[in-house]
Amino acid sequence: MEAGMKIRGADAVIKALAAHGVTTVFGYPGGAIMPIYDALYGSPVEHLLSRHEQGAAFAAVGYARASGKTGVCFATSGPGATNLITSLADALLDSVPVVAITGQVSTNVIGTDAFQEIDVLGMSLSCTKHSFMVTSVEDLVPTLYRAFEIAASGRPGPVLVDIPKDIQLAAVQYQTPLQTVEPEPVSDNSLVASAAQMIKAAKQPILYIGGGVGMAGAVPQLRHFIDVTGIPSVATLKGLGSVAHDTPGYLGMLGMHGAKAANFAVQESDLLIVAGARFDDRVTGRLASFADKAKVIHLDIDAAELGKLRQPDIAITTEFKQLLPQLSQQLAGQLQLAPWQKHVTQLHQQHQFNYQHVGELIYAPAMLRQLADKLPENNVVSCDVGQHQMWVAQHMWFRKPEDHLSSAGFGTMGFGLPAAIGAQVARPDATVVTVSGDGSFMMNVQELTTIKRKKLPVKILLLDNQKLGMVKQWQKLFFEERYSETDLSDNPDFVKMASAFDIPGRTIFHADEVAAGLDEMLNTTGPFMLHVAIDDAFNVWPLVPPGASNSEMMDKQEK
Amino acid sequence: MMKHTLFIVAKQRPEVLERLLRVTRHRGFSIINMQVHLNDEGLIEVNMQVQSARAVTLLSNQLDKLIDVTCCEVLNNANSAHCANE
Repeated sequence: MEAGMKIRGADAVIKALAAHGVTTVFGYPGGAIMPIYDALYGSPVEHLLSRHEQGAAFAAVGYARASGKTGVCFATSGPGATNLITSLADALLDSVPVVAITGQVSTNVIGTDAFQEIDVLGMSLSCTKHSFMVTSVEDLVPTLYRAFEIAASGRPGPVLVDIPKDIQLAAVQYQTPLQTVEPEPVSDNSLVASAAQMIKAAKQPILYIGGGVGMAGAVPQLRHFIDVTGIPSVATLKGLGSVAHDTPGYLGMLGMHGAKAANFAVQESDLLIVAGARFDDRVTGRLASFADKAKVIHLDIDAAELGKLRQPDIAITTEFKQLLPQLSQQLAGQLQLAPWQKHVTQLHQQHQFNYQHVGELIYAPAMLRQLADKLPENNVVSCDVGQHQMWVAQHMWFRKPEDHLSSAGFGTMGFGLPAAIGAQVARPDATVVTVSGDGSFMMNVQELTTIKRKKLPVKILLLDNQKLGMVKQWQKLFFEERYSETDLSDNPDFVKMASAFDIPGRTIFHADEVAAGLDEMLNTTGPFMLHVAIDDAFNVWPLVPPGASNSEMMDKQEK
Repeated sequence: MMKHTLFIVAKQRPEVLERLLRVTRHRGFSIINMQVHLNDEGLIEVNMQVQSARAVTLLSNQLDKLIDVTCCEVLNNANSAHCANE
């Protein structure tokens, strides 16, 4: 470009995205973002048209979670922007780096209740890590650079940039801003030494691993730490995949629907080493009795999480890639944990899930275990929210955290399908499966069109018990079997519906059809829907009832 | 109910006070006194007295985390605002 040549703000947006290595954005056009869509036309940045802005933003979330890169989505002003809100909240709760760009009405009519005008900056305050409204075209490119930096640095999160239409049309000379880099926290050496001392003194330590380790790209460092210390471990929903599932002493997920061995071991521990986790209520059960004999070492990139719910004995604001090797070095070969390791192994053996299920009906936990064993190495599994989500977490296994996309903190039904689309775009060679339920699937079902348009080979495993299963389970257990509004027996014909989007599929009803059904789904070129009829009597077990301690798990009640 | 005084320095942005107020409300604190001053360097200085049954660090840590907040501290009788000297 000639020196001094000016371009439209809209063109500067696309140029700034390209400068950040963005190759695909997810979005939906509309009036106030038309200049940006005009700039996109014919540009090297590819656009994936969703059929609802929530789907676009979830695809950006899926893209980010499956790849570790920042996801980008576009929406117009007013309803376009409000439709993004749920997905941004989801990204905030799960710390996902997303940059959302919204069109806004022109600056001269902001505040006049113009057509499709709403205060997007105001609405963004509670559902983003940070947000901007650009009010001068000179600020546009520096703001976009800052947005990318904030989204990915520290504890990642969603950042929204609201750009009025006149700013998109104004002329600007594109200048690459000077990059400011957010400093990463440096661990205090004396605290690290104290932590090592406390770990050495412990007889029954356990690692409680959250999503923060994977998000920091520190899975290899974590696995090395476990190798050299032999400390048993448990993971949160977002932490699944951080530890290889067959690692000695790894007990799986803890919490409300956690593995019994995981919850028992945590309750018995004398030292809880919390890595990138936040004492979520679904993890702790009754907080006062959670690991109540244990001292706590809390490690997190976000200082605000330290002491938020449980007062730690040692707290370190940390970058895991730096801290874990330091701890490994100080602890290698120093721990004598044989009796504890033996006990934990016994707990693990005593409380294995039982996949032997008699009868003709399809038992979802056994089917999901079979699916995990059949998946190729390069795979991503997304899921929705409800019983199937907990079965995926309990019974499948993952090679790394970015292979398991689950709406953990926000628990958003409708997450799975668009997240799978984003994951498939980020990792075109991966086998991407979305496991959904008949309730959740309908929440963003319009995104089947996106699969059709781009011929994405996303596999859909739809578990259908014609119920809002998790709500029904709670009605059965805690609301005297008063099944208020959880019957979905008027569901559409899902396979017929998929075929309307050029997605082949079939329904299976019996346990002896499972292996062939999964094979057909995985071996079909292109997308496929395996619709699985399951009995609504099957519930998620074990379960820690609300307000109870994690040692008070309820057991399977149905045969 | 405990009362606490916080001193906050933040970049002057049109929505910055909304951010402070939103976090304060959402984290379970009510404001009983507040003074806002735009200093010569274009930063806003907020002196805020809050009350809550919750520990004040639950609020101060969340305020400190806001991107536009450059400094946040809880004042007590023993210290004076070091944010003011930064």
